[in-house]
Amino acid sequence: MTPLHGPGGTTGEPADLLPSGYRAGEWAVSELIGVGGWSTVYAARPSGRTGGPARPAEVALKVMPTAGLAPRQARRIVESAHREVELGRRTGHPRLIGLIESFVLRAPDRPSLDGAIVLVMERAARSLRELLDAGVPEADRGRLIEGICEGLAHLHRSGWVHADLKPENVLLGRDGSVKLSDFGLATELTGTHGYAPPLGTLDYLPPERWKAPLGALGVQVRPSADIWALGIVIHEVFASGTSPFAGATPVARGAAVQEYGEGRAPLRMDHAVPPFWRDLAADCLAPTHEARAEHTADSLLGRIAAGQPTRRSRGARPHGRARTALLAVALCATAGATLSGEAPRKEAFRPTGELTVFNAERRCQDRTDRDLHCSLGLAIDPTRPYTPGNVVPTRVWHGDVLTAECQLPHGLPIVDEDDLRSTRWFRVRLPSGSAPAGWLPAVRTKDRPPLPNCPYPTAP
Amino acid sequence: MSGVVVHLPQGSGADGGEPVTLRLGPGEVARFGRGSPTTPVELRLDDDAVSRLAGEIRVTDDHWQLTNHSTSHSYLVENPEGAGEYLRVQPRRVGAPIPFEFSRVVLPTRSQVPVVFQVFAPDHVYLDPDATGVLWGSRTVMAYSLDETATYFLVLVALCEPRLRDQSRVAVPTTPQIVERLNGHTTSGALTARAISSHIDYLAEQKLRIGPPDVHDPGKGDRRNGKREEIVGLALRFGLVREEHLALLPPPTGAAGRERQPAR
Repeated sequence: MTPLHGPGGTTGEPADLLPSGYRAGEWAVSELIGVGGWSTVYAARPSGRTGGPARPAEVALKVMPTAGLAPRQARRIVESAHREVELGRRTGHPRLIGLIESFVLRAPDRPSLDGAIVLVMERAARSLRELLDAGVPEADRGRLIEGICEGLAHLHRSGWVHADLKPENVLLGRDGSVKLSDFGLATELTGTHGYAPPLGTLDYLPPERWKAPLGALGVQVRPSADIWALGIVIHEVFASGTSPFAGATPVARGAAVQEYGEGRAPLRMDHAVPPFWRDLAADCLAPTHEARAEHTADSLLGRIAAGQPTRRSRGARPHGRARTALLAVALCATAGATLSGEAPRKEAFRPTGELTVFNAERRCQDRTDRDLHCSLGLAIDPTRPYTPGNVVPTRVWHGDVLTAECQLPHGLPIVDEDDLRSTRWFRVRLPSGSAPAGWLPAVRTKDRPPLPNCPYPTAP
Repeated sequence: MSGVVVHLPQGSGADGGEPVTLRLGPGEVARFGRGSPTTPVELRLDDDAVSRLAGEIRVTDDHWQLTNHSTSHSYLVENPEGAGEYLRVQPRRVGAPIPFEFSRVVLPTRSQVPVVFQVFAPDHVYLDPDATGVLWGSRTVMAYSLDETATYFLVLVALCEPRLRDQSRVAVPTTPQIVERLNGHTTSGALTARAISSHIDYLAEQKLRIGPPDVHDPGKGDRRNGKREEIVGLALRFGLVREEHLALLPPPTGAAGRERQPAR
């Protein structure tokens, strides 16, 4: 999606635009946001009569006309829309732009738009591309990348590949929240790879894509293609929007990507990129799929959570890539389900259970010196990413016995060093004088005391 | 996208005149000339009038550059599909950019027959037809773009014609049928069966990069037909050839054509 150039957008404007105030389904068009290859996006509001309680005040309408197209062209559009709807239906997540509904436009008065597919989506404030053009504030950079990574981690764990990750498709809410969008090329994996239409954005294609054969199902894509694109985006965010690959045009940069991929040129990143992020981007930009495959969105997210240079001094870390601990991953779509079922327990009845802390790191199990490197954290909020900002000051060690008050079955999934994964968290009491409670991920203990479910935590 | 292909036809090179094909990726260089132990060349041209090091081909972005090492001879680069388009690369010119997808590089000799080799640059990018008029830098584009004015595209449309005209049961046309269908319709005169076959190979290998044929299945029979079917399937499936391209072909003749002439 390309934003219009300047107010009015005079270049090559398609003739068939919906005027402000036009009623499309239950929505009233307010203004044009952008024009893409096959679609036009408008801002819209619920039209008067039907403003139900669940209706957002403002949405984006993606209109994909099919009229006048040859059947095969129309099919391309329908397939693209189908992908978006399917993905929206199956894998909703706070880091993906939400699909509210989709419908076919009935507009007998506008033959060119009659039959267009309309996707009704969350409205974002702007795209990362616009932010890059304006200049990304330094304090926001890490958070932006983390947000993109959370979205990718969720997509990949749900078995999808985005296949067109670029700053245009990373949208930012008015509250600064990061959401991935445009799933027109997104592909569900069968086994280790999926197939996407032979489309892409030159600046974000991994080296192997330049030689990929075209098969009956399209071109093969794997999650590592998204990881490559993430590496480019990391560099862009930290280096004023420039690609790590030199060249005046996307084609020239594409040629530089191939030279690098074939080992004829080194990776040269801008020194404006801080060392932590440069390491991360370099791993994302490993030249082959095989070398990139070990760097999954989950593992990158874990490194970001563990290593954000804002909280710790980099020099103190034993190794730049110490995968300290928990791989923080994104919130399960089912998390909301616990909300309805739980009534808060009465204060008087408070069963408790004892938990012995378990550290999967073998070399920490025998130590009793409470070395900081063997300590484990407790989360403040088990539904938010397990970042340094979301950890109580109190640390715990292997063998400590904690008192748990209740459990949360569907918090943020946590994976430990042995790849055990659990979404369960225990709320544990802390020594008086510190925070009222902390949350221990269930992978950090072998005990499963019978405990009531906790009330679903509300955002602090 | 993967660089350029240099092809020296049979009879022009060294080593008994065997044809030579070189594939160069972006940034790679191939030297050409008569060669010698002290001046090695990647492409040997066996003619006394050609210097030991006559020139260089360097792949840049989606095109290539020609450097002329000769101090006295210009080289010609012809576009065989361009109705006589050519470039003259002057002696000692460094890195002249060559804009053609198909090029014939012609080096003068003392005899009547010049030394000729071909360079293909299949990586040229074309905008989607519905995406012109807007800045294209960060757009999603078709990664397999075709030049709709090229002869290979005409051949592709002819291959797809029966299916586009909704005669879906009809088999993909054979080479003689395409020769007949395009008879006299190209700028460069009649296409021979051999030319049609090389356009089909070029489409399959350079433009669409269709996966290698299954060599482990000798029972598959006529592999060439399988390749055509596959090209047609992909071109239609991904909208590389559409109904509107039928206008590139000469008007259909014969009973079947007249009956199905679309009302426009």
